[in-house]
Amino acid sequence: MVKVTIDGRELEFAAGTSLFDACREARGEALPHFCYHPDLSVAGVCRLCQVEVEGMPKLTIACNTAVREGMVVHTRSEKVRRAAQQILEMHLINHPVDCPICDQAGECGLQDQYMTYGLYESEVGMSDKVHKAKVQVIGPRVVLDKERCVLCSRCVRFCDEVTRTGELGIFNRGDRAEIGVAPGRQLDNAYSLNTVDICPVGALTSLDFRFKKRVWLLKSTPSICHGCATGCNVRVDHEAGTVYRLKPRRNPAVNGAWMCDEGRDTYRPLHAADRLREPLLRRDGALRAATWPEAWEALAGLVGRDAPLGFAVVAPRQTLEEIALFTHLAAALGAAPAAVSGGPREADRGEGDDLLVSADRAPNRASLSWLGLEEPAGADLAARVRATRGAVLVYGADPVADAPGWCEAVAGRTVIHLGTRRGATAEAAEVVIPLSAWAEKDGLLVNRQGRVQASRRAIVRPGLAQEDWRFLADWLTATGETDAPVSLPELRGWVAARVPALAGVDLNVLPPEGLVPDAVAAGHGGER
Amino acid sequence: MSDPVEDGNGFGLGEQDAARFADVLARYPTRRSALMPTLWLIQDRDGHLSDAAVTWTAAQLELSEAKVREVISFYSMYRDRPQARHVLQVCHNISCHIMGAQPLLAHLEGKLGIRRGEATPDGEFALEGVECLGACGMGPCLQLGKHLYEHLTPERADALVDGLRRSDPPRPDTDRDLED
Amino acid sequence: MNQDQYRILSRRFDRRDGHRLAAYEADGGYRALRRAVGELGAVAVREEVKASGLRGRGGAGFPAGVKWGFVPQGAETVYFMVNADESEPGTFKDRFLLDYDPHAVIEGSAISSFAVGAKLCVIYIRGEFGWLIDRVQKAVDEAYAAGYLGRGAFGGAYELEMIVHKGAGAYICGEETGLINSVTGLKGQPNIKPPFPAVSGFLGKPTIVNNVETVAAVPWILEHGATAYRKFGTEKSPGTKLFSVSGPVRRPGVHEIPLGLPFREFFDDWLGGMADGEELKAVIVGGSSVPVLTAAEAMEVALDYESLATAGTMLGSGGMIIIPQRCDMVELIQVLMHFYWDESCGQCTPCREGTGWLHKIVQRLRRGEGAPEDLALLEKVCEGMAGLTICPLADAAVMPMRSFLQRFRPEFEALAAGRRATEPDSRWAREIRS
Repeated sequence: MVKVTIDGRELEFAAGTSLFDACREARGEALPHFCYHPDLSVAGVCRLCQVEVEGMPKLTIACNTAVREGMVVHTRSEKVRRAAQQILEMHLINHPVDCPICDQAGECGLQDQYMTYGLYESEVGMSDKVHKAKVQVIGPRVVLDKERCVLCSRCVRFCDEVTRTGELGIFNRGDRAEIGVAPGRQLDNAYSLNTVDICPVGALTSLDFRFKKRVWLLKSTPSICHGCATGCNVRVDHEAGTVYRLKPRRNPAVNGAWMCDEGRDTYRPLHAADRLREPLLRRDGALRAATWPEAWEALAGLVGRDAPLGFAVVAPRQTLEEIALFTHLAAALGAAPAAVSGGPREADRGEGDDLLVSADRAPNRASLSWLGLEEPAGADLAARVRATRGAVLVYGADPVADAPGWCEAVAGRTVIHLGTRRGATAEAAEVVIPLSAWAEKDGLLVNRQGRVQASRRAIVRPGLAQEDWRFLADWLTATGETDAPVSLPELRGWVAARVPALAGVDLNVLPPEGLVPDAVAAGHGGER
Repeated sequence: MSDPVEDGNGFGLGEQDAARFADVLARYPTRRSALMPTLWLIQDRDGHLSDAAVTWTAAQLELSEAKVREVISFYSMYRDRPQARHVLQVCHNISCHIMGAQPLLAHLEGKLGIRRGEATPDGEFALEGVECLGACGMGPCLQLGKHLYEHLTPERADALVDGLRRSDPPRPDTDRDLED
Repeated sequence: MNQDQYRILSRRFDRRDGHRLAAYEADGGYRALRRAVGELGAVAVREEVKASGLRGRGGAGFPAGVKWGFVPQGAETVYFMVNADESEPGTFKDRFLLDYDPHAVIEGSAISSFAVGAKLCVIYIRGEFGWLIDRVQKAVDEAYAAGYLGRGAFGGAYELEMIVHKGAGAYICGEETGLINSVTGLKGQPNIKPPFPAVSGFLGKPTIVNNVETVAAVPWILEHGATAYRKFGTEKSPGTKLFSVSGPVRRPGVHEIPLGLPFREFFDDWLGGMADGEELKAVIVGGSSVPVLTAAEAMEVALDYESLATAGTMLGSGGMIIIPQRCDMVELIQVLMHFYWDESCGQCTPCREGTGWLHKIVQRLRRGEGAPEDLALLEKVCEGMAGLTICPLADAAVMPMRSFLQRFRPEFEALAAGRRATEPDSRWAREIRS
């Protein structure tokens, strides 16, 4: 540890800490900056984070300086303030002042820092500005406005250092320098929208999000991406029940500051046209809307003491709590534990990469083994369904659409579907129960590292849809069970008590980076 | 004879240039560090760096096209489109300016019937103002290909243009009378 | 005064065969390299050069021997690069060395490489010196053939590969990390420091970059000793220095002088004074990036690092630009501001935007569209650039801008008050010289 005095406060930092980070801690806010990014190499080009270090003749940029024992640093002196103001003004010289029509307005580094340091009259005549191309679609998801670019080089460094695809370059030199792709090429890597996230101004914008919502109207909810087993930490940006975009939330232990483009699309199904908004019951051969009392009545008629459940299957995209409760419920309804299974694997497979995208597109598969669930391959699963009698309960999956042999396997059987969308399995069901999609509920996911992370409710459920755990708990109570959990915290305690891997873990208090249970970290996994 | 190094788009080096390219790759410690000499090799042959040349170079040196184009666009001497046959580059920096670079440029504009930054319609001549060429004590000067013409006067400038038109240019000042 | 006695670096400049290996060897060439490798060893070479006080001739004037000492002890791979990207306006001395005495540069580079433990030496020559690249490559080929370069040179006592690298037109590659990046296959943009290239340079390995003139002095220093070298020049600025002189003087060109020579003496005796009909107005002593001196100021200075610093300017590259009375200083600063705007690499904001801004302000002053506030604005833009960037290019623009404004303010004020600029002086060099 080294002692450093910043603005009169003496603080201790680990040797090698960047002065930029040290100043952020000491000041409670970051120094002004455009180019610095903790997950990229240091470029040192925006020149905004200049600080005064006693004993050094000139101001120095904090981002490229490591703390040293005895360093005395001033970040709020007149000299520093003046330099920041002047450099900011340089940034604005050739920057169009088109904030009213700029999609970045409201989350723009230039605007923010201008408010802090600026409030001067620009002395460059509008006619003198260097003009560059505006509104260039440079890839399937990204739009570039070269005039707004402050050449911080973050996007270029991202494509050079993180994806190593190098699609972006800064061409020409001096004030003719501009960001772009090579002619005939595109910014089309699987992570291209991160360049939009790290663009401090409105130069790179998302083709999808552009002009859909002014950002200051959005509310953000921290959550976890449900796109694959990686479990990237995300921020769900929403307003009035509609999710507009997902943005990565920095978690060095999982996703750094990034997420993939495919993951960003996972908000779309939330607002799909085939969302289930009320219970559906088959009457006269067709599914018809019903009330909850009618639904409960129908369930009681199909499964009960005299009609044990034949088979139950749950998708590994449901939460840890839901799968645990569902497994318990299925057993209570008469399905042998062996007959409760994870969903068909085929539905959750894709191409993976060595960065963030997991070939396993299910966000919570690790939970299955913790809870003792098997995952037979599709055809085996169908065979096992055929080997049972009684109703088939399908939760969160659509195996009739996704898995081989299911069409035949459920032919003539009573199917009960619990889910969010009216897919093929719902169409084959007698009873369809509308539940909550991932952004409409709280829950825990276990990612491919065995890390438990919290996904949070951002928006309200549609129509009469129920919160999953509540519905499962109610059904459990209806079977005569007297100690079904009555709250989510209680449910989590109930889960932790039943899963050996979670022995001693308080699932209601997770650290910000998530939690890898000691038993998992030690390599025992959740196997019993 | 087939091209020893050719890509699918028909771009390739002749045998001699392919040998030079191999030599460059052998002498430079990384593939990327061979970029500038490779671009020179192609530009010396073709007069400019075509899209096909960029694609070929990027593939050979295991770089993205953007990284190759960054370099081409950064340096003033790499050209990404075909050039006039004779590009007259007049230094307009301070020393040559003091010694008459502007009248030299004006004179050549009149002689060639074009303005600086333009090329003659027949593609024979282009006239450019460029930064210091390192002939400050011998100004005004101009660069043509590998050589410089120094101490320029209207007569010498005319003689150069006329000589080039006849394919018999005067000897450049940097092509000195040194023993070979 | 016999000016020839100071000709250490320029002693072969008027020979027709000085660039040939045979002539160079007949002159005692490559003896110093042989001795360095065979007798002295790297440590002694470093010590000798350090003792000579030889300072970097590219512009910064940092002691060469000290710079060599920054290479970490025991470094496995070290690179040596020779900066022949001579692009500072007013400077053309390295060109003469490469043209007339390429083997002195090669021998000096080889000795320097040996001294720092480098096995690869890159001579980076600006692309505009096309004919020189051929000349130096030919000389390098000769040196390989003679066994001074390559593997197993001098019976395997040392090995050195030498690459002649052709630049492609970028002033900024004269900055050493820009040069290194350029050789790497990148844009020639300077790096933030630390790390310094002597610790982490080309391909992340220790790399020493020295100017052509610096390395060309090394063989002489080894041959004659540090003490002999220190007989020239001053205590703190030892040795001789090439000045490349441009402008309407009687004898422009490259002149070698002992450091510390009074400008007046240099001007009168070496340069022969102004050409007929010309009158001295101002002098830029060390290349376009150093502050300009008025004629009166120039007449009082001595040409060494310390005296020039005291006078408020710098020795720089030794590219001396003589400005005659007929020149409009605002016109000249416009030429220079165009240059720095053109050559700014564009990565640091203050330089990228500031150089363009300065150029635009000067331009509008000269168009007669200026305003009295523009002079304060020029100063303000300079303040927003100076000392705030990765490399010295912003300062290199600010120094002439500020000094022109300070020393020739009435010319700026007249334009700011609304007077249109005079037409450019349309005299030809021919008329100037006659």
